[in-house]
Amino acid sequence: MIRGRPRARFVTLALAAVLLGTTAACGSGPVQTEQDPNAVLEIWVRKPPDSASAATAKTLADAFTESTGIPTTVTAIFEDFETKIQQAAAQQDLPDIVINDTAQLGTMAGQGIVREIDPDQLAGSQDLTPGSWDASRTVDGKTYAVPFSAQSFALFIRKDWREAVGADVPTSWDELQALAEKFTTEDPDGNGSDDTYGYVVPGSTKRGYTSWYYSSFLWSAGGDFLTESGDGYTPVIDSAASVAALQWFQDAACDGTIVPDAPTLETSQAHPLFESGVAGIYLTGPYMMARFDENLGADKYEIVPLPAGPGGQASVLAEGENVYLMAGSANEAGQQKFAEFAVSVEGQTIGMAGDSDGNIVRLPVNSQVAISEVRQDERWQIFDEVYRDSSRYVPIVPEWTPILQNSAEAFNTIIADC
Amino acid sequence: MSRTERFDTALGFTSSRHPVTRILRWGVYVVCIVVFAGPLLSLLINAFTPVSNPTSLTLIPDTVTFDNFTRAFDRGVLGYLLNSFFVVGFGLLAQILVSLSAAYALARKKFPGMRLVLLLILSTMMLPEEILAIPLSLVLADVPFIGVNLIGSLFGMIIPVAAWGFSILVMTEFMKEIPVELEEAARIDGAGEFRIFISVILPLCRPALGVIGIFGFVMIWDQYMLPLLVATDTAQYTLPLALRTLRSDPQVGLGVLLAAALLALLPSVIAFLAMQRQFMKGLTSGAVKG
Amino acid sequence: MTTTGQPVAVELESPPPPGPAQPPPRRRFGSIRLRGTLTAAVFLAPALITFLLFKFIPMGRAIQMSFHEVRPYLGDVWVGFDNYTRLLSEAEFLTAVWQTVILAVGQTAGSLIVGIVLALLLEGSARHLWIIRTAVFLPTVVALAVVAEVWRVLYYPGEAGVINSLIGWFGLGPSEFLNSSDTSLWSVMAVGVWRGAPYDMMIILAGLAGVDRTLYEASAVDGASIRQRLWHVTLPALRPVFAILITLAAIRGLRVFTEIFLLTNGGPNGSTEVIMTLIYKLGLERSELGIAAAGSVILLLATIALTLAVQIARRGRPSRKAKR
Repeated sequence: MIRGRPRARFVTLALAAVLLGTTAACGSGPVQTEQDPNAVLEIWVRKPPDSASAATAKTLADAFTESTGIPTTVTAIFEDFETKIQQAAAQQDLPDIVINDTAQLGTMAGQGIVREIDPDQLAGSQDLTPGSWDASRTVDGKTYAVPFSAQSFALFIRKDWREAVGADVPTSWDELQALAEKFTTEDPDGNGSDDTYGYVVPGSTKRGYTSWYYSSFLWSAGGDFLTESGDGYTPVIDSAASVAALQWFQDAACDGTIVPDAPTLETSQAHPLFESGVAGIYLTGPYMMARFDENLGADKYEIVPLPAGPGGQASVLAEGENVYLMAGSANEAGQQKFAEFAVSVEGQTIGMAGDSDGNIVRLPVNSQVAISEVRQDERWQIFDEVYRDSSRYVPIVPEWTPILQNSAEAFNTIIADC
Repeated sequence: MSRTERFDTALGFTSSRHPVTRILRWGVYVVCIVVFAGPLLSLLINAFTPVSNPTSLTLIPDTVTFDNFTRAFDRGVLGYLLNSFFVVGFGLLAQILVSLSAAYALARKKFPGMRLVLLLILSTMMLPEEILAIPLSLVLADVPFIGVNLIGSLFGMIIPVAAWGFSILVMTEFMKEIPVELEEAARIDGAGEFRIFISVILPLCRPALGVIGIFGFVMIWDQYMLPLLVATDTAQYTLPLALRTLRSDPQVGLGVLLAAALLALLPSVIAFLAMQRQFMKGLTSGAVKG
Repeated sequence: MTTTGQPVAVELESPPPPGPAQPPPRRRFGSIRLRGTLTAAVFLAPALITFLLFKFIPMGRAIQMSFHEVRPYLGDVWVGFDNYTRLLSEAEFLTAVWQTVILAVGQTAGSLIVGIVLALLLEGSARHLWIIRTAVFLPTVVALAVVAEVWRVLYYPGEAGVINSLIGWFGLGPSEFLNSSDTSLWSVMAVGVWRGAPYDMMIILAGLAGVDRTLYEASAVDGASIRQRLWHVTLPALRPVFAILITLAAIRGLRVFTEIFLLTNGGPNGSTEVIMTLIYKLGLERSELGIAAAGSVILLLATIALTLAVQIARRGRPSRKAKR
């Protein structure tokens, strides 16, 4: 480049030597940390800073400190939580506890930044629902987290719109589709213009949203991503039932019952479409109730379980959050105690935060906790029933993220291609 | 008056007194404002509405509320704003000084290896920061040769932005245009390097100073990855971190994001107006420059 | 790129290396040359040291990462060129490269042209021009997250969408804009031009400020029209500014990420996938830092190659000297 002058080459080489010299020291193996049963537990939660849910996490940690005497600090990080974890791992300075999505399990275990857990050694583990434990195990059967919160999804339907078009609560997919068509064509908001749609679909490929959203429909239609065969899995996304389910999805997108910007819609952009009256059917989680109550009004919408699909029954996505005990902690005993406290009846009750929007436990994983005693709002019961009776977690494979991404790309193409 | 004005600008468009040009001129202004500022402003108005409809733009909201601002303040936006001010203040000062100094060497000095240096500077802009995040955080945690930990300190957000390739290169390009005779005259008068730099070169760089000031401000004001890596506590957050969080936070609506964005916008506009002053001086001094 | 055809250091045969870390070798120099080099080193030191610490060392580490499977806690594993081959064998990679190039070229050219027009129309020192320029500059200072929301509203694909209503008056549309693979890349590009043009405008304005006004007067005396004046006086004087704008815009264009991430995330059907969104998906979102690093090293090499190619191409041309 510099016409090969010897000087320049020397400078380049010297620079390269400096770079390599200073970086070669990085990336040594795991470190053994000296234990101190009173060391401060650093807790990271994936919640917006200064939000009500971050405050609940703080309350939980304070209650833990009160009951055990182990001091804690709580840090709420929301966007780019994974980047911060990566950073902490690179600096070999991980927090002691991370409360994060169940979906992160495979990645975190693969990187060796979470500790393996023996559920038998965990006080109160027998009280946790068996389903929730499924979300804390990797494909080799080892447990790498303690389940903390669970959630499922249900249809949010504009009640005033449904009444305006004179329809009943849908109990089958045909009725659901008919309702969506009426919302699209019969001017349910009565403003005289044709500006409403049936479904809100966050169909962007970001974080695999298309696939994440549609998995409930896919399963309820009898389709699936993978099926167990022998030791492993085989893809069944091309099975007749899966294809039919995706055809249904594409038809809805193409006949205009799905909002037209679905292929690039993220969840954060999808919520306003429902609350501002652009579309009237939205499959989403219980965490949206507080916001929609305020921005739309609790009387304007109703929550309905997804009706059984062509597969004969509803099978809705279940997910949640886990307590991860991070590697390299100076207080491993304290980590375990925190996990035990977080899943105890007391910890779960604090995390549920009554009816407020500050909940960090959506549905309790501890079967000893009765939702109705903590929450007056009966709509939570619907989500609880869906979770218990007709939900499923994503299959346990070494890593779900690539499958999620690739299927999201494919589904996204299907709804964008009319 | 009209004689000099005619040659004030390349087109003479903004100073022409011809009535047709005048009408045309205001037509052009309106189009420019509508196209570039209109959509933004009409969206930002939604900061005052409780629920914004994401499919249409409004100029007059149905109901006016300050709830979104209250919520933004509850989320600590004011504190983030102060942090942003602190970082941008010191960061921009450092960046301008470093850029001026480097550009002086690159534009006014002949030295071997200059092409290599220029390529190196360009190369600093070629890797996206998303990729450098993790390695950069290691450097910040233990700065090589010095051994300081910048994580958790606002200075960790300031020092790395002190050198910015864009500023250096833009400044270099402008400094090259300054006639070498001026410098030589000062040198013959016995002025030293710093004297020449300060009293000859610097005053002639005004328009360029305005440019790197504005762009430097925007660049530091918008920094996202660096504050994310450096902040260990929300007390150290800057505004862009808050904006990204508010954008994807399911507990608040679009209005809160817009309220925070509106707050973030005001300082930028003020800074922009202030820096344009440098431009204006340049514009008028350019007219008399020989 | 920036050394507009000036053969600055090229003819020197045995120069001492620059940089503060290197003591000048003991040789006999013309004292002026040595002093010039020393001065340059002193003036460059703050920038180069900062770059070394916060850019080059992380870059070196990123290059190192690209040959490893990065596992911060378990220790990295050397994988040779595996990360590269995995990325290059990805079917979407070539499409992403191609779309990145289209986008970079389109945005660079579009912003430059619109920027020149804006700068010429809005040049001047009148007060009201301050306000108008500020208004035009807004897209650059508003948070990108808001810019993305604005364009989602403008591009809303229904017939009631803002732009669809506008083009509806001319009997066009409605278009799907971001949501159809036929139009998405152009829609993203338009956002880039909208945001990039005011950027270019500002730098061109500063360049215009430096144009010698006596040349305008002289050309008027020669009876040149405004068009001729623009063509023969203004644009040539702006050439160095264009050179730097194109170089910088091209570099920015090749690593374009946030706009697309916020607008389409590469969709629909991969029609706006660019190198960085692909790297993000395959590397960062899956926490495969090695693959992400490999992708960015490819990006780095391509950008450097392109920069050098442009430089060599420009050096090959007869040198047009700016006044000096």
